[in-house]
Amino acid sequence: MFEKVLIANRGEIALRVIRSCRERGLRTVAVHSEVDADALHTRLADEAICIGPAEAARSYLHIPAIIAAAEITGADAVHPGYGFLSENPEFAETCAQCGLRFIGPLPEQMREWGDKVSARALAKSLGLPILEGSALLENAEDAVAKAEALGFPVILKASGGGGGRGMQILRSEKEVRSSFETARAESLAAFGSDAVYFERYLERPRHIEFQILGDSHGNIHVLGERECSIQRRHQKIVEEAPSVALSDEQRSDMSATIRRAMREVGYLSAGTLEFLLDEQGELTFLEMNPRIQVEHPVTELIMGVDLVAEQIRIAEGEALELPDHPLLPRGHAIECRINAEDPDTYAPWPGLVTELHMPGGTGVRVDSGIYGGGRVPPHYDPLIAKIIVHAPTRPQAIAKMRRALSETIIGGIRTNIPLHQRILAHPAFEEGRVSTWFLDDLQA
Amino acid sequence: MKVDLEQLRELIRLLDESNLTEIEVEHDDDRIRVRRDPAVVAGPLAAASVAPIAAAAPAESSESEDDATHLTSPFVGTFYRSPSPDSDPFVEIGDEISVGQVICIVEAMKLMNEIEADTAGKVVEILIEDGKPVEYGDRLFRIEST
Repeated sequence: MFEKVLIANRGEIALRVIRSCRERGLRTVAVHSEVDADALHTRLADEAICIGPAEAARSYLHIPAIIAAAEITGADAVHPGYGFLSENPEFAETCAQCGLRFIGPLPEQMREWGDKVSARALAKSLGLPILEGSALLENAEDAVAKAEALGFPVILKASGGGGGRGMQILRSEKEVRSSFETARAESLAAFGSDAVYFERYLERPRHIEFQILGDSHGNIHVLGERECSIQRRHQKIVEEAPSVALSDEQRSDMSATIRRAMREVGYLSAGTLEFLLDEQGELTFLEMNPRIQVEHPVTELIMGVDLVAEQIRIAEGEALELPDHPLLPRGHAIECRINAEDPDTYAPWPGLVTELHMPGGTGVRVDSGIYGGGRVPPHYDPLIAKIIVHAPTRPQAIAKMRRALSETIIGGIRTNIPLHQRILAHPAFEEGRVSTWFLDDLQA
Repeated sequence: MKVDLEQLRELIRLLDESNLTEIEVEHDDDRIRVRRDPAVVAGPLAAASVAPIAAAAPAESSESEDDATHLTSPFVGTFYRSPSPDSDPFVEIGDEISVGQVICIVEAMKLMNEIEADTAGKVVEILIEDGKPVEYGDRLFRIEST
């Protein structure tokens, strides 16, 4: 058993971890930057240590300061939350070297899954379906042959590229012929290599992800899926569970495949496997996130599991105590991420929160890091709160979320609540007809 | 002039809803100006700067009420007044110190970080006990300029 847990994070997730610790009888240490001296996580933890100035690089990302804070407070474990150091294998290793238990996966697992290329290869070797791709393209003729073999449309990617750069969607033989040489030249200029290849391009995919938990006794549980198709520039905005797009059969088949794969690698702690679902209903592996995720509460509500508490139990070396596989979802849950930003331009909107009223009532959960009279500093992520609802059916959950949003009062700063209200009122959302292009369509 | 609170409140509200940093209203001889710290005005977030902490860290001094200066801890860790348990403290009250002089140690991750003074003067107060934990920015010494 741990006695004292240091939370190497801030905002709502730091509070989320403090709550599970407190319920397990563990003492908590918050670390904070100078601007977060009055932040909620600083105020609600048993102890708080200032670790540096506002810049994350010198505070929340500064490994020596966090380890030193654990040393002077006598913490025996560290929970990294999400973001910041949560996917940094060096941090996990440093914790271990300093006698601190890192509440998360093993460092080598973070490395394997953290690199997209190695994660894809690993997933393929474990029997997970991956998006079909070609070998490197040799010349225009070869490119045409490979594109036809995959089936149009294809997406041309630079082998050395990343972050959405160096990509081109090609829909015909003609387009392949006319674009091939320029794409190669561009790749050489931008990334120093003219190696390019194709992947099958999905026009209107949905984003579906599966939550897993693994313990140090070799048990793996798959806790169903979440649908996170409503995104802006790969930032999820609304998430729900379960997804209306998966059949029971598909859900249980994929859960079994994932369970087998993760058992084979002995995955430890919480993790999420992200997939794209194409219009033909086929799931293909995208990437694996070896940490707790922002949207984990929707899974907690439908599965009746405290994922953070399970992470802590797993790190303490205990076996998972979940009902026999498969765990069946109960009802429907939706989460809205409330960001401090302009609802139309998405410009971050930090500042003083002059008044605050959060929604309540049956089936409403709020995970938030702000309070009335507190400040949203301009240095960090604009996520200030998550409103999560749980109801027996999806239409009831939508009605509940609309009601919850209408009760919410956040004064002094702008938030994206009006955007959420537009999403929740949209017929396509009501009918569950969504894709990762939903917001682009909404604004078109 | 008489301050119209209602008008002032209205101006603050306007400022809040805009992305301006300052509003000034002039009427006859009355003038009201409301302004705020530009740092809290919305705009694209600046990328966090990645300035590494210097290996040999100078203590950061901060001005205080009187003519004395406080040397603050550049690290979170454990504060030591001497290089080892058996040796003499680096400085005592009344000592004159110069810029760059090692004045204490802050231990973090089993590393003994020597902390140098970034200001010269006389040590008038030692604010932390030997062997006690310090946070980033904690005041360690009060220095009077000479």
